[in-house]
Amino acid sequence: MPYLEMKGITKLYPNHLRANDGIDFSLEKNEIHAIVGENGAGKTTLMKILYGLEQLDAGSIMLSGKNVTIHGPLDANRLGIGMVHQHFKLIPEFSVAENVVLGIEPRKNVLFMDRNAAVQRISEVIASHGFNIDPRARVLTLTVGQMQQVEIVKMLYRNVDLLILDEPTSVLTEQEIHKLFETLRSLQKDGKTCIIITHKLQEVMEISDRVTVMRKGKVIAVRRTAEVDKAELARLMVGRSVLFQIERAKNACGSAVLELVNVTLKQRGRDRALLDAVNLTVRSCEIVGVAGVSGNGLGELEDVVAGLRRITSGRILHNGEDIAGLAPATLRERGLAYVPADRLRRGASLQSTVTENMIVTSHHRFLRAGFLKGGKIKQFAERLTKSFSIDGGPRVPVGTLSGGNIQKVILARELATASNLVIVAEPTWGLDVASSQFVYEKILEMRKAGAGILFISSNLDELLGIADAIAVMYRGRVVAFLSNVKGLSKERIGEYMLGLRDDFAPPRTQKKDEPA
Amino acid sequence: MNERRKFGEVLTGLTGLTLTLLLSFCLVIGLIFILSRTPLRTIYFFFVGAFTNRYYLGNMLNVAVPLVFTGLGISIAFKASVFNLGGEGQIYAGGLAATAVCLAMPAANGFLGGLSALAGAAVLSGAIAGVSGFFRMKWNTDEMISSFLLSSAVVLAANYFITGPLGDPKNNLLATLAVGPQYGLARIFPPSKLNISAFFAMAAALMVFFFMYKSRAGYEMRMCGLNREFSRYGGINVSKYLVLPMIMSGALHGLGGGLMVLGTYGATIEGYSFGMGWNGIAVALIAKNNPLGLIPAAFLFAYLDAGAKAAMLNSDVTFEIAAIAQSFIFYFVTAQALYGFARKRRRA
Repeated sequence: MPYLEMKGITKLYPNHLRANDGIDFSLEKNEIHAIVGENGAGKTTLMKILYGLEQLDAGSIMLSGKNVTIHGPLDANRLGIGMVHQHFKLIPEFSVAENVVLGIEPRKNVLFMDRNAAVQRISEVIASHGFNIDPRARVLTLTVGQMQQVEIVKMLYRNVDLLILDEPTSVLTEQEIHKLFETLRSLQKDGKTCIIITHKLQEVMEISDRVTVMRKGKVIAVRRTAEVDKAELARLMVGRSVLFQIERAKNACGSAVLELVNVTLKQRGRDRALLDAVNLTVRSCEIVGVAGVSGNGLGELEDVVAGLRRITSGRILHNGEDIAGLAPATLRERGLAYVPADRLRRGASLQSTVTENMIVTSHHRFLRAGFLKGGKIKQFAERLTKSFSIDGGPRVPVGTLSGGNIQKVILARELATASNLVIVAEPTWGLDVASSQFVYEKILEMRKAGAGILFISSNLDELLGIADAIAVMYRGRVVAFLSNVKGLSKERIGEYMLGLRDDFAPPRTQKKDEPA
Repeated sequence: MNERRKFGEVLTGLTGLTLTLLLSFCLVIGLIFILSRTPLRTIYFFFVGAFTNRYYLGNMLNVAVPLVFTGLGISIAFKASVFNLGGEGQIYAGGLAATAVCLAMPAANGFLGGLSALAGAAVLSGAIAGVSGFFRMKWNTDEMISSFLLSSAVVLAANYFITGPLGDPKNNLLATLAVGPQYGLARIFPPSKLNISAFFAMAAALMVFFFMYKSRAGYEMRMCGLNREFSRYGGINVSKYLVLPMIMSGALHGLGGGLMVLGTYGATIEGYSFGMGWNGIAVALIAKNNPLGLIPAAFLFAYLDAGAKAAMLNSDVTFEIAAIAQSFIFYFVTAQALYGFARKRRRA
């Protein structure tokens, strides 16, 4: 009998997206089980259901042979399930001990927290797993790796038997990853069971006993790690090629519209650069696709080109002029259109009407003495809603529309004004086939009109269908720039995406990840 | 979880407001039954008293005037998702600034002098609130806290001027010297104190309405309030809209204070605007930050105030009854509005 058995797990998100679609997942006692899959495959959703952060719409969960319902993390903890989130949930100003006992503080005299008892018990947990943290230190003085240890201690303190780690290595250095894996092995020795969510195949091979591959809300395969290799996992993750119905006329490329020269983006407190000397050129009448797994710099690339984040060094050229550091409004005046990946927060204001959303980038064109020309704006919005066939009309709040229609509102706005540089990021994420087709057609129209298009996507099928060339990013670097000719396969791109190949590898500079 | 969300949505609707008001009225009636020896008479005066003669009615409307201004000030900041909790200090300082300008020009033309007095009020209070907005923009200091703290200090500083340099030694009240008679706003409903500032309040509500919904700055401000990330993405200067709404909010508070001095008191009396800033928040919450909705919301508050005064004069209860009724409404309405606000933040 498996230790944990999740059966027929289905989770629907508001815009009819099946985040989990009839998933069966089982776990043996005392194993380390990896879950891999692309963005949006549903890994995190499945784990959130197990940890009680999301409620399932259908399916059942059996733990040690008993049916359980998990309404929240407290239920999960009571059942011995703990989760370490990708983004730590710690209070920086509190000490390690205070963070660990938060919510279940040992008391003395009814009212007061027994600090000494807390520190003592935590010290025992820390010592027994060979962690290197002082329970009295304030969390803000710790390194990222140590903070993660605090999160693990927090779960061990609550006596969990099953520990879920959501992309635990994405923020760690190599050394910290090794330390983490040692910890996981020692937990296994203590009889605990671990689930680790990751994109990184190397880590799967190294740490896991079994691996579950997910794609588009479904489980594609469950394997013993010893019986698969990385290439097969990569193939399972990205799936077989689907032929896309995109008519892409041959096109002569013009002059460079966008050039990135050694663009580097660093963040305080992180040793690894988010963007590491990125070089990339987009010409007019050209679609350059950018592929990569999340956390490898795609989002940052989007931010810096759109002027929403300042680069640390390098140059960003638009039609030959440096545009790094210019305000978003200035960039838009220069002819930038931008369809962001985060369309619900950045791309749209959900409580505002369709009209208000449509004029955010162009309302200064409808002015008379500081006041907006209501009539002109109404015409503009009506024209766009009609030509993009947006349901509901110009006066409804955008938040009431479906995902596809929200995306159409954004596209309508971005494509309404003539632009020569278009950034589109994950434009069809969560959209059905018809809406996706519509999006592709619009983007191809822009290309025909002469714009240079930077097409950032984690969907390889669509990149292979629409892009003229594909750049692949891994750990903030461009590791391949591939011309999209017949014979370019998803498997090959997948190998670059997962760091198995690197065309521009600097000769043996791996060492720079190590702390001095 | 789901039921709770639905419940909250119903509460935030208009039904919620009606319920809130009914509940508060019931509690007030209950209190009167406990506290008054002639409860029916008290209830009559409390609820109908304000309409029994011109004096009461006019004064009630006059009380509503500054509430419209403070409510507008709060709403304009709310719409931009910045929070001005310094209304108390700003309205107080506005009155003082208007007084100071008038006292500095004892012989000026009433119209021009009055205008400069109001301008002074708006500028001083706008600047006080603007400081909090500026801190928020520059160092991400919580403007809610800084405006509140600053306002507390401003009240004390204003008290110094009222009783010190500008004080009237001959007056028994702790008040400044009286402003010149040419500055008094025309009374329009004698014998009450209602004056032409009532028209100013209506005009201000209309102007703020047009500003928020028809002007470029209003549109940009509302977009920033609803989704700052979206606004930045769309090319709106988001830091500007951390400061501008605070300045406008402060200026509206200042105008409210200045008009009270010119129209009603003719001098700044210590504590004359006590509670007005907080009531402005309640009024804005009742009106759901709709500038035009502020007029009836301000009436409601003034009505409770007037009812309590009438009941006090004609029966055996104290003015605190009104304060209690107002605070019931304040608590219920605030709880209701904060519930919606908390949900908004959680989603953002």
